[in-house]
Amino acid sequence: MSQPLYHLTEIERRHGPRVVLNLEELSISQGEILGLVGPNGSGKSTLLRLLALIDQPDRGRLLFDSRPTQPASADQRRQVSLLLQEPYLLKRSVFENVAYGLRVRGLKADLAERVGRALDLVGLERASFGPRPWFKLSGGEAQRVALAARLALRPRVLLLDEPTASLDLANAALVKEAALGARRAWGATLVIASHDLPWLHQVSDRVLNLFDGRPMESGHLTFLFGPWTEEKDGLWRMGLPDGQAVRAEGPARPEARAALPSAAVAVSDRPPNGSEGANVLRCLVARLTWERASDQVLIEASLAGLSLAVTLARADFAALDLRPGQEVWLSFKPSVLRWL
Amino acid sequence: MMGSLGYIFGGFSEAVRLLAAGDPETFSAVWTTVQLSGLSMLASLIVGTPLGFWLGHFDFPGKRPLRTAVDTLLAFPTVVIGLVVYALISRRGPLGDLGLLFTLPGMAMGQAILALPIIVALTATAVESLDQRLRATLLTLGAGPGRLALTTLWEARFAVLAAAVMAYSRVVSEVGISMMVGGNIKWHTRTITTAIALETGKGEFAIGIALGLVLLAFALLVNLALTGLRRRSRP
Repeated sequence: MSQPLYHLTEIERRHGPRVVLNLEELSISQGEILGLVGPNGSGKSTLLRLLALIDQPDRGRLLFDSRPTQPASADQRRQVSLLLQEPYLLKRSVFENVAYGLRVRGLKADLAERVGRALDLVGLERASFGPRPWFKLSGGEAQRVALAARLALRPRVLLLDEPTASLDLANAALVKEAALGARRAWGATLVIASHDLPWLHQVSDRVLNLFDGRPMESGHLTFLFGPWTEEKDGLWRMGLPDGQAVRAEGPARPEARAALPSAAVAVSDRPPNGSEGANVLRCLVARLTWERASDQVLIEASLAGLSLAVTLARADFAALDLRPGQEVWLSFKPSVLRWL
Repeated sequence: MMGSLGYIFGGFSEAVRLLAAGDPETFSAVWTTVQLSGLSMLASLIVGTPLGFWLGHFDFPGKRPLRTAVDTLLAFPTVVIGLVVYALISRRGPLGDLGLLFTLPGMAMGQAILALPIIVALTATAVESLDQRLRATLLTLGAGPGRLALTTLWEARFAVLAAAVMAYSRVVSEVGISMMVGGNIKWHTRTITTAIALETGKGEFAIGIALGLVLLAFALLVNLALTGLRRRSRP
């Protein structure tokens, strides 16, 4: 087995006294597409900035290409490029924005051609966009210019922080396509943080769940934010708006947060028998997505505004014959809920 | 009443005549002012912009008191600067051997000290108020420390230029330093402002008004430049 491109061990990153990222171990292989998911503030951007070698961990070791990165050399940093969630364009023309990284590297030969090709990749016409000043761009165009500035460098690693969060569908599609093109064209390693879970699970080789700066088990999680009330036998109950309820094994607090792993939930198209003591929730199927990396089907089931995630192997899913809008029953034991 | 106003109007029409005819004494003072202010601005920009970048970009212990000190120097009286520079470059002073007293470079030294706090303070503010994402963007595009500083200043270029324009307007209109360090020597160190002071003292209003008009034209140009810069510096 070849050496991983990134190897992180016992990483901790703090903002003041608060630990915003805490990773025991993470390896990323050359050419891999790693997806990062988690709610806002879960540490995705922090991890991306560490991987971009812009920030340093406060504790732990980050190896890039088996070499230490504390501090990172200019040569190491130049193999990696990060697309920020809200791009910053230099107060220059589009052409000069895309050319900046090339000029920094002293790549002056074929400058116009390299910039032009990068603009092609994000679907911006060279002649009309090249001379345009930075303030005459829409949000989507600015994001595409920022991506072109990174693609022009043909980085070994492309890091994308919510690349489609503020874009309309057409712009989002262009950005997604151009980013994936980097792996096809020169085998770039991609790390993508996104809330677009169906897309992320479809394109990623692996998905890392982060919550409060810590990795969670892989797969999908449904977060239950309480409030919880204590019942007998050490069980805690969270009422749902439609009158149904979830029970979890304590110990807990009224304001505790719990995560429900999607793989621990069983689904059936009729009320289950013999599920003594288990939670049973009646829901409607909202969305079905096939995930390439795991060859599983993600079922998003809706219940009074709450969305619950369930994953099934493709064969098991086929046996159920589910459709969106259909009534289903989810069941899971009180012991599978994890307190955060 | 009309008669007492009349000599001012008379001086005004005489002033226009002097300017139109290219009066050598008037234009000598204008040319001296242009040279002198150019020299002092060059010196203060070369020293001030790197200092302003340093003060605005980095965090270090004692940064706040230092900024307060720089802000205080914004109100440095020109006669005090004149006094200090005179003491430094007069025959008996530590820089006496350079023979700078009553020369343009000596006056430029004083004016550069006048302009420096303005350049440093406003550049620091401009760099501080740049977007937080700029640094990450430059680093991830591969910029090293030198390139990072240059591009950061370039991003703040409109604000830095506006600082230079502000400093210029202060430099071009000061009297104290030019008078004390330059000595108001005709054809050599006489500037617009020292000439106005002298001519008014002699009761020669025409030359004074003519030079005053030139100074007002300078102010108009400076104002137009600032307005233009503000328009260009929008996000």
